[in-house]
Amino acid sequence: MNHRFPAAVIAVLSLAAPAAGQVTTKRTWTPPRTSWGEPDLQGIWDFATITPLERPSELAGKDVLTEQEATEREEQATQRRVDRPPKPGDTGSYNQFWFDAGTKVIATKRTSLVVDPPEGRIPPLTPEARKRGEARVALPPHPATGPEDLNLATRCILGFNAGPPMAPGAYNNNVQLFQAPGYVALLNEMVNDARIIPLDGRPHLPQNIRQWRGDSRGRWEGPTLVVDTTNFRDETNFRESSRNLHVVERFTRVDADTLLYQFTVDDPTTWTRPWSAAVPMRKTEGPIFEYACHEGNYGMFNILTGARAEEKAAAEAAQKGTR
Amino acid sequence: MLFGFPSETASAFAGIRILAALTSKEFGSYMSGTMRNLFRGAFAAVAVLAVAVAPAAGQTAAYKAPRTADGKPDLNGIWQALGTAYWDVEGHAARPGAVVALGATGAVPGGLGVVEGGEIPYQPWAAAKKKENAKNWLTADPEIKCFMPGVPRATYMPFPFQIVQTPKSILMTYEFANASRVIYMDRPDFESPVDTWMGHARGRWEGETLVVDVTSFNDQTWFDRAGNFHSDALHVVERYTALSPAALRYDVTIEDAKVFTRPWKMSMPLYRRLDKNVQLLEFKCVEFVEELMYGPLRKKPSQ
Repeated sequence: MNHRFPAAVIAVLSLAAPAAGQVTTKRTWTPPRTSWGEPDLQGIWDFATITPLERPSELAGKDVLTEQEATEREEQATQRRVDRPPKPGDTGSYNQFWFDAGTKVIATKRTSLVVDPPEGRIPPLTPEARKRGEARVALPPHPATGPEDLNLATRCILGFNAGPPMAPGAYNNNVQLFQAPGYVALLNEMVNDARIIPLDGRPHLPQNIRQWRGDSRGRWEGPTLVVDTTNFRDETNFRESSRNLHVVERFTRVDADTLLYQFTVDDPTTWTRPWSAAVPMRKTEGPIFEYACHEGNYGMFNILTGARAEEKAAAEAAQKGTR
Repeated sequence: MLFGFPSETASAFAGIRILAALTSKEFGSYMSGTMRNLFRGAFAAVAVLAVAVAPAAGQTAAYKAPRTADGKPDLNGIWQALGTAYWDVEGHAARPGAVVALGATGAVPGGLGVVEGGEIPYQPWAAAKKKENAKNWLTADPEIKCFMPGVPRATYMPFPFQIVQTPKSILMTYEFANASRVIYMDRPDFESPVDTWMGHARGRWEGETLVVDVTSFNDQTWFDRAGNFHSDALHVVERYTALSPAALRYDVTIEDAKVFTRPWKMSMPLYRRLDKNVQLLEFKCVEFVEELMYGPLRKKPSQ
């Protein structure tokens, strides 16, 4: 299926470009080219933002924040970034040094990253996908009987924002883009995931070869890198998606410091219609660090050890009670 | 005398001109014959010598790689080592495997070894530790747990890796365990703030050769499945030189004053994968080792 980006999204793109350009008043900004003539998108890009993927219900009907609303939200986000002791009985989680979800709304001040449907909400799940989701939630989340009961991020198999598609999360919201003739490579800090995308027009992998992150093929459409990804596994589960997930990503450099990242996801067995989001990525110095998730996964060991200890304690208490 | 070398080093240095006429194979045997003597000289002098030798070796290859747009040798591509260095970088005869059920498929094929001079110069305590590692291979080798293999081990795993070469940085991505590293070509003074599994890599071009200086390792990775190991003082210098359109020579110098008595070297060819539509496939091995690593922590059916 050849996906064209919906008209609504293109409208946002044309809105986004002048808006971002206003700072430097460079409306005639020409993207640099690689020495072999492709648009040069290289660099380390930061996609942390406090703008949510879906428009919050209290902002229904409101497309864009006012300047004052945006400032308030950014101030609140900064204030939230303070370490507080965990609640009594709670082991606590990462501290603020670890979290890096950003403190800024996106430059367009749109109230959601979702741009299509225009109301900024992900379309309803199909009945089939709802059933899949319910089955997953029904798994006893605690205590875990084995590693498979925990989510893919806890297992260090997939992060929650490396994609495809990349959607901002609590930390590691950055990606380094490399270009060589015939290839684009994306190195996400999250779970150390690298994706090397051939641009030579070769077909996707055969249908029987399925991957956690699918199989990506790229092409240029004018200034835009278009990446088409299929061949996912069922378990990949991007917001309840199935193996039929089809992701089309579009990367366009709209000024020196902004890479506009747009994605459309389609999976007729999951959503009632395709949907799209737009995330402006900002240039950053980096570097991308090695993220040795599995190598340092003490969390998995401790969660399972804790679960077994709780069971043992419960069994002992029950035995005591029957005596 | 050019750099104030000790005399025996200097005389060997003069021999480099002769080396230029040798093939790389002949060069290899020349090096193994003379290296032991050379290393009696000061390490520093040897290190300088090593740098001087490589361009000469490059000349012997008499091959000039195609150029990237910025005029550097083009090493882009998907590469893979052959041979059995991933089992044991030292020479070894074929031996039975550790898992009886795997029979012939689990047995270890023999190999001539890739270590110059044949043996790794361990300090006595480290030689004992290596033996211990080998004995405990199934529980001690980080590869078995799907941990990032470190450098140089990642290069000669039985999996392909891909080089994406740009002027400022070079991405090397390895199929095994999803490991990747960025080689900084434009930040010679950039020190790593933390220890890493895959090292902190800074590169430069020396004629036909990509030279990568790798530091900031942790002490968790090995060199092979035979228990060869290092400490967190490991310093690796890698040299990638095109031998032909379809092959690179990979030379590595290993330095680790906590473990070895002197720096030592490995050398092997890397081959371009020429398969139609070849691409790195996922080998996210975490899911393959969960039972091994966490199986004992599963809820028992009786509970």
